Amino acid sequence: MNAGGAPSEARASLSLPERRPTAGTIVRGGVIAVLLAFVLAGLPPLLSVYWLDVLTAVAIYSVVALGLNLLVGRVGLVSLGQIAILALGAWVAARLDFATSLPFPIVLLATGVITAVLGVIVGLPALRVSGLYLALITLMLAGAITIVLNSTNFPNGGGGFLGHTESSFGSGGIRRPSIAVSDQAYYRYAVVLAALMFVLALLHVRSKPGRAWAAIRQSEPAALAAGVNVTLYKLWAFALAAFITGIAGGILGGSSGKLFVTQFTTQGSIILLAVVLMGGVFSLWGALAAGVLLQLLPALLNDWGAPPDLLTVIFGVGVLQVLVTAPEGLVVQVPRDLATLGRFLLRLGRRAASLLGGAQ
Amino acid sequence: MPSFEDFKPFFVTGLSLGGVYALSGTGIVVLYRATGVLNLAFGAVGAMGALISWALINHTSANQYVAYAVCILFGGIVTLAYGIIFGPPLAGRDPLVKAVGTLGLALILLGFMSWFWPPKSRSMFLPTSNSGYQIGIVHVTWTQIIGLVAAVVVTIGTGAFLRFTRLGTAMRALADDREIAATLGVPVRRVEAVAWLGSGLLAGTAGLLLSDLVALDAVTLTFLVISSLAAALIARLQSLVVTLFAGIVIGLVDALITPILSISTYRDMTPFVLATIGLLWISRRRVVSVGRAGT
Repeated sequence: MNAGGAPSEARASLSLPERRPTAGTIVRGGVIAVLLAFVLAGLPPLLSVYWLDVLTAVAIYSVVALGLNLLVGRVGLVSLGQIAILALGAWVAARLDFATSLPFPIVLLATGVITAVLGVIVGLPALRVSGLYLALITLMLAGAITIVLNSTNFPNGGGGFLGHTESSFGSGGIRRPSIAVSDQAYYRYAVVLAALMFVLALLHVRSKPGRAWAAIRQSEPAALAAGVNVTLYKLWAFALAAFITGIAGGILGGSSGKLFVTQFTTQGSIILLAVVLMGGVFSLWGALAAGVLLQLLPALLNDWGAPPDLLTVIFGVGVLQVLVTAPEGLVVQVPRDLATLGRFLLRLGRRAASLLGGAQ
Repeated sequence: MPSFEDFKPFFVTGLSLGGVYALSGTGIVVLYRATGVLNLAFGAVGAMGALISWALINHTSANQYVAYAVCILFGGIVTLAYGIIFGPPLAGRDPLVKAVGTLGLALILLGFMSWFWPPKSRSMFLPTSNSGYQIGIVHVTWTQIIGLVAAVVVTIGTGAFLRFTRLGTAMRALADDREIAATLGVPVRRVEAVAWLGSGLLAGTAGLLLSDLVALDAVTLTFLVISSLAAALIARLQSLVVTLFAGIVIGLVDALITPILSISTYRDMTPFVLATIGLLWISRRRVVSVGRAGT
């Protein structure tokens, strides 16, 4: 079981030399930079407060989805308890916020670290069980955490360890950072933090942990035999996912100022898994797609007057569709299907042209 | 600490609820053994059946017994339809993927339920809840008795079915090895269809009973599946007898905590805690296995 004494050759194979950036990566980086600049600077003045709130939520939930995306797509561990982890993060952030006068970024960082520790504790069973049983254990833990939250509720400025008081409607909400008090500024703050989390995830995926995770996902025994410290990297994955989710929880608290137990249901964890699978787990873009599905789509449907419950049905159909026909998710499927459609239209157009040409 | 007298009524609720958990647990275990699918939509199917039956009774002039039958049949038909449509394409996949597929079904049903029946207080009142027995100071309704008796009958019946009939033997063969069973001429699809149908009928029955015993609420009924799941997991998704006892124990523990005020807020955690302990106990020996998934 001890992978510590693995031969050093096997270790060496895990740390490939750094790749030189190709023209493609540079172009892609440029496109991402332009997009990010537009989202940060161009978009906010065009939008009402409502849509800014929606987009802030998209940024936050993309980060939540990113945590699950890493676990499912990179390591092959399915967790049905991510919304519970988000609730833990939000709770810790709110508690720290009311208890101390630390600057917001420090509170966020501390929240991330504390949530990561909690995430590792939740992830401990993963060392023994995997696959279906792990998903069920995390579902059970999520249910248990939700029940505890139901009776402790979220801190709102009260005293004691729990910091919740029923009679404090007058007490201020959760602070926002001093540099981002307005809705526009907070939206930018959330987007920048979300981008940082994506970079953090990308750095992991592109380096040694990412390769170790890939090995574990392919075959745990093979990874073990190749000298991958399976225990360390599995817990690392849980810690990273929980860190990211905890930070998202911290931003979530600041965005609305108040937190409600009804925001964090077990059903929410299931829907999160559904949208993450729909978005696609083999690309980090899938997490962004999941965030859009989870927060922007309901707002759009609401705007168009469609029943909000229709969305749950769509997610259910979507997850079945993804499982049966397209395991890579929407970020791969949509471009591929669009390309197929484009080729089909092109061929149709050409045939029509040749028919017309023949008729003349 | 409350006295023994205070616990008495909760024995009855615990036993009857535990019975229904065991009933659902049996449905889950039988389906898992025959098809490898852990049906997480079990609760949602029963919930929707119960809501349809409620709507039939309250908004149409349908006979109430017809409405109850519709609830049970709805469970069977929806589960069978899911099995026929999504069973074969997912048959070769990991058990986890199959279970996530049923989560998709659960979401679809949950969406429709909160669309058609927005949350408000509804109640289901089975005629069997009108009368009952008086045991000492405790009143026991027929519905509660049915809950417990149905569990025992279904467990014995299913056990006998699996043991003594041709179809049951075929199901056990499938549980052991799908490919070999198919090679030996077991009609895999047909046997699986029977398992889906039977499990679905149990889902409908459990939904009907729970809507009376607990509450007629989509989300509550959907997630009550976790209690039954806990029973099934403690039985390692194998033994029907262990499922029966585990279900009853979960129901009892859950109910008996109620009068103990200091922890009664947390009593809903019972199935989660028991199932987690059960799961960790099952996998206490870590085995690295290389082979076909799901075996």
